[in-house]
Amino acid sequence: MNSRFYLSLMLISSLVLMAFLAIAFNREMTPVWKDYQTEYKETLIKNAKDDGTRERAEKIQVGLQQIYIKALNKSDRCTSCHAGVENPLMAAAEVPYKQHSGNYLKNHPLPKFGCTLCHRGQGRALNIAEAHGEEHQHWDFPIVPAKYIQSSCASCHDYKMLETEGGEKVAKGEKLFREKGCLGCHKLNGVGGALGKDIAGIANKAYYYFSMAAVVGERNMYSWIKQHFDDPRKIVPESQMRAFLTDEEADLLTTYMLTFRTDEMPRSYRLIKNIDKVATDGKSMYTAYCSACHSDGKTSVYDEIFARTIPAIRNPSFLKTISNSELKRIVKEGRKGTQMTAWKSEAAGLTEKQIDEIVKYVAKDRPSEKSRPFNVAKIKSDIERGAEIYNNRCALCHGEEGKGGENLLGMTLRDSALSPEFIAITVRDGRKGTPMVPFGNGGIGLSNQEIADTVAYVKNLTNDKK
Amino acid sequence: MGRFNTRCKLFLPLAGILMFAMALVPAAYGQEDEDAAYDALIAKGKAAYNVRCALCHGKDGDGKGEMKSVTRVEKTGRTIVVTPWDFTRAVFRFRTTPTGCLPSDADLERTIRKGISASLMPAHGHIDGDEIEGIIEYIKWFSEDWDEFDPDDESCFPVAINKPEFVGSADSIARGEVLFKKNKCFECHGVDGKGDGDKAKDLKDDWGNRILPFNFTTGNMKRESTAEAVYLTLASGLDGTAMPGYNEAIKEEEKWHIASYALKLMGLIKSEDGH
Repeated sequence: MNSRFYLSLMLISSLVLMAFLAIAFNREMTPVWKDYQTEYKETLIKNAKDDGTRERAEKIQVGLQQIYIKALNKSDRCTSCHAGVENPLMAAAEVPYKQHSGNYLKNHPLPKFGCTLCHRGQGRALNIAEAHGEEHQHWDFPIVPAKYIQSSCASCHDYKMLETEGGEKVAKGEKLFREKGCLGCHKLNGVGGALGKDIAGIANKAYYYFSMAAVVGERNMYSWIKQHFDDPRKIVPESQMRAFLTDEEADLLTTYMLTFRTDEMPRSYRLIKNIDKVATDGKSMYTAYCSACHSDGKTSVYDEIFARTIPAIRNPSFLKTISNSELKRIVKEGRKGTQMTAWKSEAAGLTEKQIDEIVKYVAKDRPSEKSRPFNVAKIKSDIERGAEIYNNRCALCHGEEGKGGENLLGMTLRDSALSPEFIAITVRDGRKGTPMVPFGNGGIGLSNQEIADTVAYVKNLTNDKK
Repeated sequence: MGRFNTRCKLFLPLAGILMFAMALVPAAYGQEDEDAAYDALIAKGKAAYNVRCALCHGKDGDGKGEMKSVTRVEKTGRTIVVTPWDFTRAVFRFRTTPTGCLPSDADLERTIRKGISASLMPAHGHIDGDEIEGIIEYIKWFSEDWDEFDPDDESCFPVAINKPEFVGSADSIARGEVLFKKNKCFECHGVDGKGDGDKAKDLKDDWGNRILPFNFTTGNMKRESTAEAVYLTLASGLDGTAMPGYNEAIKEEEKWHIASYALKLMGLIKSEDGH
């Protein structure tokens, strides 16, 4: 009984093993590319309009295809499935038989460039999921979605050329990147703000660099970048990114972001027709580095993301009160306790000359008539009296002890950047175009003595902090 | 005895008159006292209003203070320009009283004390009670409508708030979501509650100014961000704006379900099961 039981058990297990072997053998012998290639061949034969074409089609050997590129040490087997990429007869066919779109292959012959150089994905793989990198965790650079593919052009070409020669999306993305002021917070190649992440080389970051928890759909770098433009705080909950973009803009910027690659092309692969020049006039630099937060700088806005009011730095009433050298100091050193970056060369990477240009642009609309001096230093002030006035009049908007804060209209006052004279004039004259009303004789009616007391209290807060 | 009688006859009416007069004096005196107290209250209110409120709401309560307007950019990028409320219209949004009624003193006091953070109106919780009382009375001077206001009119009594247990539960949220659709809240507030519904673009208040529907994802209502506040908004509307009162149109229980869903949209319900 026992021996019979074991005998049958062995028989069954042997049969199961043989079945598995048969399945494995079958799978090995019928890879997906074989089907595709056979169908490609049959389609060509069926559609052949003359004997010559038919003969050539019949001669096609079905077998694994591989393009080996010595200069890049790359092997691409993509043409095993995408058999018709070079065949004009397949222009109207379905993927994977379809001919490559545009005339890209004319200038980028397959034997020299292969496929994955531009499209990424896994060139050696022999099934769809692995080749396209859909099993995301195991292949960091999956195939680039068609709408972002122009990002690869920038590896070898300049943007001016791309604008007119088949790379218009990535060229638009590059422009948009400057217009939207991304560099205000993100450093790229040593220049840019400190609030966001350094984005140099982001397109070569591994899968685990990105927080994929909230990404919807295919979880890879491309989805992450696009979706973080759509709703930054959904992808990175603590993000302070101000990205107010249309869907199209987000796609263009994603395309541009994917150009930040670290794998450099050999010289013989590059074709640069123009040297791209980054505009260094004040207005362009203001747009690139300042506008993301300050917009046009004409009105102050309360920003929910920063949970503070962003000042109107191009407001004439502000410029009247502040000199270029004071402005320059703020741009260079930033403002501690706020989101304002220090833009000096050791920090955000701008040169003295560039900062001068920006300051000149910011101060462009300064009225010729300066603010009437207050001479606050000449008034003997009483801090305690100032505290009383502050708590009664100023704290509502500027917060307890000048700290500013969430849902408060006023700026933080705990900042040593501004002189007592500047504060005194601002309190007296207000800031036209912002919620700061004049508290001096022309407005609320505080006397100069009272204002001086208040300023003394405010400056004392700053000193406390030090 | 007779003489005494005669005297009494004279004395009694005199005493009567005297006593009557004596009784009247304190009454008259009290009236004067009250008037004086009221005048003092208004004077105090006016002074406080001019210091604390007039910057934004204007010396005449017409919302045209020196500050003019403030701009707020929401996390979604929507920009809202807030202009201070005009008291001369005697229309108020944040009431516990039914739609069309003036607010109770407690309603006004709540707004003054807590502020409206979503509109950047500062909270004035720290100031003296009689100063706030003065401000409330002074605000009533800006419109004659307050003269006709009868505090004993039952039709303007505050709406009763009895928050049921189920508010915030997963089931209630699901029902609220259905009701949000059924009552077409999304037409203005958007399918995701972002305030971007189809009708949002051309909303106007009663005076023809462009207004924007509430974006729930900010999580910050102009009233406090609570189920009770959502309920009240549904029950009594936001008079003057495009948000009507739904006291009859939406059943009591349904209002609370919508409140549950609103809390979820505002991100104020944390855990999976809804609580």
